[in-house]
Amino acid sequence: MKQLKTRNFCIIAHIDHGKSTLADRLIELTGAMKSDKIIEQVMDSMELERERGITIKAKAIRLSYTAKDGVTYELNLIDTPGHVDFSYEVSRTLAACEGAILVIDATQGIQAQTISNVYFAMDHNLEIIPVINKIDLPSSEPERVLEEIESVLGYKSEDVLPISAKTGQGVPALLEAIVNKIPPPKGDLNKPLRALIFDSHYDSYMGVVAYISVNDGKIRKGDKLRLMGQGTELEVVSIGYFNPKFCPADELLAGDIGYIATGLKSVGECRVGDTITSLVDSATEPLIGYKTAKPVVYTGIYTTQPEDHGQLREAIEKLSLNDASFSYEPENSPVLGNGYRCGFLGLLHMDIIQERLEREFDLSLIVTVPGVKLIVTRTDDRQFMIVNPSDLPEPSEILKIEEPWVKISVITPSTFIGPIMDLITQSEGIYKHTEYIGHSHSPDALGQRVRLEYEIPLRSMLTTFYDQLKSRSKGYASLDHEVIGYRETKLIKLDILVNGVMVDAFSRVVPPDKAHDIGKSMVEKLKDVIPTQLFKVPLQASIGSRIVARTDIAARRKDVLAKCYGGDITRKRKLLEKQKEGKKKMRSIGKVEVPKDAFMSVLKMEQ
Amino acid sequence: MSDSMAIYIHVPFCRRKCKYCSFISFDSRTNDIPGYIDLLKKELELRSVDCNIDTVYFGGGTPSLLTAEQLNGILSVIGKKYRMADNAEITIEANPGTVDFKYLADIKTAGINRLSIGIQSFNDDELTMLGRIHTRKEAVNAIEDAREAGVDNLNIDLIYGLPGQSIDDWKENLLTAIGFNPGHLSLYALTLEPEESLFKEIESGKLPDISAGTAASQYELAEELLQKHGYVHYEISNWAQPGRECRHNLVYWQGSEYLGIGVAAHSYIGKRRSSNTEDLDKYINALSHNVLPPQDVDEIIIPELEIAESIILGLRLYSGISIKDFEKRFGIDIMKRFGRQIEELINFDLIENDKTVIRLTPRGRLLGNEVFWRFLPDKV
Ligand SMILES: Nc1nc2c(ncn2[C@@H]2O[C@H](COP(=O)(O)OP(=O)(O)OP(=O)(O)O)[C@@H](O)[C@H]2O)c(=O)[nH]1
Ligand code: SF4
Repeated sequence: MKQLKTRNFCIIAHIDHGKSTLADRLIELTGAMKSDKIIEQVMDSMELERERGITIKAKAIRLSYTAKDGVTYELNLIDTPGHVDFSYEVSRTLAACEGAILVIDATQGIQAQTISNVYFAMDHNLEIIPVINKIDLPSSEPERVLEEIESVLGYKSEDVLPISAKTGQGVPALLEAIVNKIPPPKGDLNKPLRALIFDSHYDSYMGVVAYISVNDGKIRKGDKLRLMGQGTELEVVSIGYFNPKFCPADELLAGDIGYIATGLKSVGECRVGDTITSLVDSATEPLIGYKTAKPVVYTGIYTTQPEDHGQLREAIEKLSLNDASFSYEPENSPVLGNGYRCGFLGLLHMDIIQERLEREFDLSLIVTVPGVKLIVTRTDDRQFMIVNPSDLPEPSEILKIEEPWVKISVITPSTFIGPIMDLITQSEGIYKHTEYIGHSHSPDALGQRVRLEYEIPLRSMLTTFYDQLKSRSKGYASLDHEVIGYRETKLIKLDILVNGVMVDAFSRVVPPDKAHDIGKSMVEKLKDVIPTQLFKVPLQASIGSRIVARTDIAARRKDVLAKCYGGDITRKRKLLEKQKEGKKKMRSIGKVEVPKDAFMSVLKMEQ
Repeated sequence: MSDSMAIYIHVPFCRRKCKYCSFISFDSRTNDIPGYIDLLKKELELRSVDCNIDTVYFGGGTPSLLTAEQLNGILSVIGKKYRMADNAEITIEANPGTVDFKYLADIKTAGINRLSIGIQSFNDDELTMLGRIHTRKEAVNAIEDAREAGVDNLNIDLIYGLPGQSIDDWKENLLTAIGFNPGHLSLYALTLEPEESLFKEIESGKLPDISAGTAASQYELAEELLQKHGYVHYEISNWAQPGRECRHNLVYWQGSEYLGIGVAAHSYIGKRRSSNTEDLDKYINALSHNVLPPQDVDEIIIPELEIAESIILGLRLYSGISIKDFEKRFGIDIMKRFGRQIEELINFDLIENDKTVIRLTPRGRLLGNEVFWRFLPDKV
């Protein structure tokens, strides 16, 4: 039976521990592709992903491997996104597998996401094969990392494989472990069809392409299918798998992993996590409970020039065909005009979408201060959600505000505990737990490695929290977070006035006791980033009608007028053209030319 | 093409590079000068046209590295291949570190009738900071020698807005210059580009940053002082005693035609702007083979651009833009075509309009770029 010779697995790892490199090596060693043909790490497909070195969309590759027992196995490797923003997608990927290779960097040891990855995989009952990667590096410390794995994760040393994804050392043994330890898929070919969508993307030729893991039954081209969660009906336009090239096939059977092209127009109709069954003779129970990934971070997106708004609408609509997890709703700002309030899975997700909008659609965007979704109860007991600070009612009308909290886990050498705890406390974190997990690289200098657990408002993580964590730990600390629910809170709206005009794009909700400090640093920061104007520009921070901070940008008195040399008028004109062009990257607010970067800079500042 | 023209000749050689220099000039190629002179003559011949030459300007670089004979040789080619106007203005830029009485007298004999001395500063500390090759003493000597040699049409170049330069430091420079009673003064604010060593010294904190506010005050002081001493502020950076305006520079601002000869020299002829290569070797190579050098810039100035340029250049002049002349030249009512910009700029107190003429206000002269860019066409 073919199913018995199939192994479906994924690789899980903290960022940069070597997931993509290992995938390449597996592809190469199983002969799916000659090493010189692996031009780039093939599983990271989008240009943007490659630049950022992270994987956003999961894809599956079928490998053929003849093991020592002489049997040729079919290995399906599913790539998982490496960042917590995409944890929902990771969980769907895990649900499509029976096993996971857990990659741990031999120079770094266990990191925050290593642990959350393991728990995740355990939740899905996966067989986990821990590997210590990068043992080729002189700075690697496999023994120390092994101890850590034993003590923190509870694996026996003989079950942990030392490898180098780069040189291939130890990877043949890993392949054997994959076929010997990971169980074959358990589904039943004779039952009604049930297949899990673990990823999907939109393709302009084929419509939505869904990546699926077939649990029971089979799918053929032309089959009429239904999504059990969403109710979408579709017909299979094309079917196949990747090896890693695109390989159309006749059918996918129970235990197989592959893709179907659906002809659907938007990934929103074919969401990750849904179970596919046949239109007739359907299954009764989905494979896993279907839910949609919910945005947690919200921001307003506007075009620098109001007249480009139409292009933004088109771009957002197009992009959302391909990303069902980002939400958008039109909104109108008194100073910025028409734009969208967009919801994202996290800050990284937000950055990626913003960059894609600017790059792929050639737009110049203004992105407002990101915020969370608040639940506000009015004095009349009516409750509603707020994603735009401007919608916050007058304090007198508010009975209570609730905001989302997250549980964070930080792993750091103990030397940095002090500054890190300070940071988290300043960010309104509540201490939960400390755990010592092993020795650091050089115990004398850095001390023990410690895992700290805190609960903190998600809002506090939306500005420079991560950057500061990194800088306060000289880059050693790693962070993981997970939304845990809503809690009551005290928040007020802080506004910024530029030249007397309230700029809603700078408004944010803050705790009352911090309003003054935050207001002050915001106006100071804006003073640095807004160029001098032809007149004096007052910058004010206010709560309601109360001004809590103020500074002025002095008027510009003199331009740089380069000497006109030997009649070189062209150069002079080019400089002026550049200046004129630069105005397009500015937003005029109350006659003040505000560069688009100003909007981002106020959130990238320390407080 | 009109029947009269200006000629600019670029001499891209200097003894040593100044620390703020952004001009095309080479400090290790002075051996190339004699050969270069021959090629200048060749280029003059290749480009020769039958028209009146009203002004000739030797710029650089350091044109005063050329001998009187060399200058004479070039001028005589111009006399032969073009028609030198009787009252032609023939200017040379001179570095005080390269001239003496004899030289100045000789070049006068060779036909030079206007001398522009690159003094930059009369303060030795400032001269050192700028990396100039001369001292205050040499600067003073150069001016006195020029006077003695009978050069009566004299310009002094000064730079203000230097790192750490106070308003008083500047005042002293200005008063010293005025004391020599030059017919013309050019005052430039120091501007720096990232490649220049002075820029790096500021970046690294070795020197204080340039203060735009101080530079503005220095400029205003100059306007006041020079007016008191009888100078007319006829162009943003240029002041002259009545009748001593630099005719060659006016050619640029008034949109008249000029022919540029030599490395990196710019021409504007027949609504076409072009410039010779900035690469000395390419220049030498081309002309050695009797062909014109490659062009770095070569653009046709379409009417829309010509209008914008004429406003941008015209506004630099104190005489401003005559609404009537503009209409005569382009058939366009400037107040209609640029009504929105003009109104906005008047509100900003950057330009003024007395019904017949539009010109920069004193504030506008300091914030010229803010004015100029608004007149550029949207897409060129
Ligand atoms: N020396 C050495 N370097 C390795 C090894 N494995 C991976 N690397 C390097 O480590 C870095 C990160 O590797 P990736 O494979 O991109 O890591 P990743 O886990 O896929 O990263 P994300 O996609 O961001 O999650 C790269 O520079 C690799 O070249 C190894 O075994 N030895
Ligand atoms: S003299 Fe003029 S051209 Fe020569 S280096 Fe100095 S600034 Fe540059």
